[in-house]
Amino acid sequence: MKPDTLRQIVERNQVWPVMAAKYGVENPVPPWKTSLDGLCDALDQAACEADVPTFKERRDEEDDLSAGVYSDLPYPENQLVSLAHSLLARGVITEDELQQRLSVVRARLES
Amino acid sequence: MTDHGHDHDHDHDHDRTVKPMVDEITDFEVLEIALRELCIEKGIFTAEEHRRFTEFAEQIGPTPAATLVARAWLDPDFKALALAEPMTASKEVGVDWLEPTGFGTPSDFTAFQILEDTATVHNVIVCALCSCYPRPILGNSPEWYRTPNYRRRLVRWPRQVLAEFGLYLGDDIEVRVQDSNQKHRFMVMPMRPEGTDGWSEDQLAEIITRDCLIGVALPKAGVTTNVITATRAAVHPVGE
Repeated sequence: MKPDTLRQIVERNQVWPVMAAKYGVENPVPPWKTSLDGLCDALDQAACEADVPTFKERRDEEDDLSAGVYSDLPYPENQLVSLAHSLLARGVITEDELQQRLSVVRARLES
Repeated sequence: MTDHGHDHDHDHDHDRTVKPMVDEITDFEVLEIALRELCIEKGIFTAEEHRRFTEFAEQIGPTPAATLVARAWLDPDFKALALAEPMTASKEVGVDWLEPTGFGTPSDFTAFQILEDTATVHNVIVCALCSCYPRPILGNSPEWYRTPNYRRRLVRWPRQVLAEFGLYLGDDIEVRVQDSNQKHRFMVMPMRPEGTDGWSEDQLAEIITRDCLIGVALPKAGVTTNVITATRAAVHPVGE
């Protein structure tokens, strides 16, 4: 079951293979990939905090979600959305605050 | 081409020299930033910690590992060092396993071993549990290495999985699957192939591809690319 916020992102389908083809770009992975790697490492380091998934939990959930609920997404979009799903499911972040923050970030990037 | 608002005293066309880029803000880009900012605001990690790990992710790649093996092929003393003290040998090709935190990254612990192939033993690495990989020296793992398909099947049917990579090994060669875990990381040192006599370290390093260092391929004179070049589906039609 996808949270609404993530379902909408999946449905808009701005995945890198589509974007790269549309704009004739050759990078095999999206530019945010290394920042996502940094995000995962920073989370793993902080995993002793309450509710933050441990490295193993994060990877197990990513495997399950990537193969199941988010199987239509390519890599690394499936890794990113699975991570968001795990953080929502664990209550590390709420869907309201994520929704609000997505709007704020998009407005900033488009300003 | 639009007017840039400044005088050009050269006549080349910028449209032809600038590489194309995605001129659209994607939901995924926004999601990555939003998640990160929320985590930072909640005190889960700092922006500085994130920056340091991201910088690490950007600078790693398979070149140091290839250089290490090439040097070991050329220098028996260095080979002995690589097998006995892989951390020390790593430093000689520019990799400090304690970076970027002083303790390595959270998922890259510092027990590292180099597995030497022989005429009768072939090594291949996997992480059956998740996707542990010798990142500091070999870069980020390829997508297929992370898949449950590779992880689960390699430990059970190694010869079949290797054959799917185009690597067929005779029955006289023992296949050893080395399972990485949170405490141990491995890398394969393949044997130097025929047809490389007199080659320099740089020439040798070119044929020691990432896949050879994982163990799903063998180095071969003239082959400088990985076996698997496209693991994701073909380009999706726009608007699909």
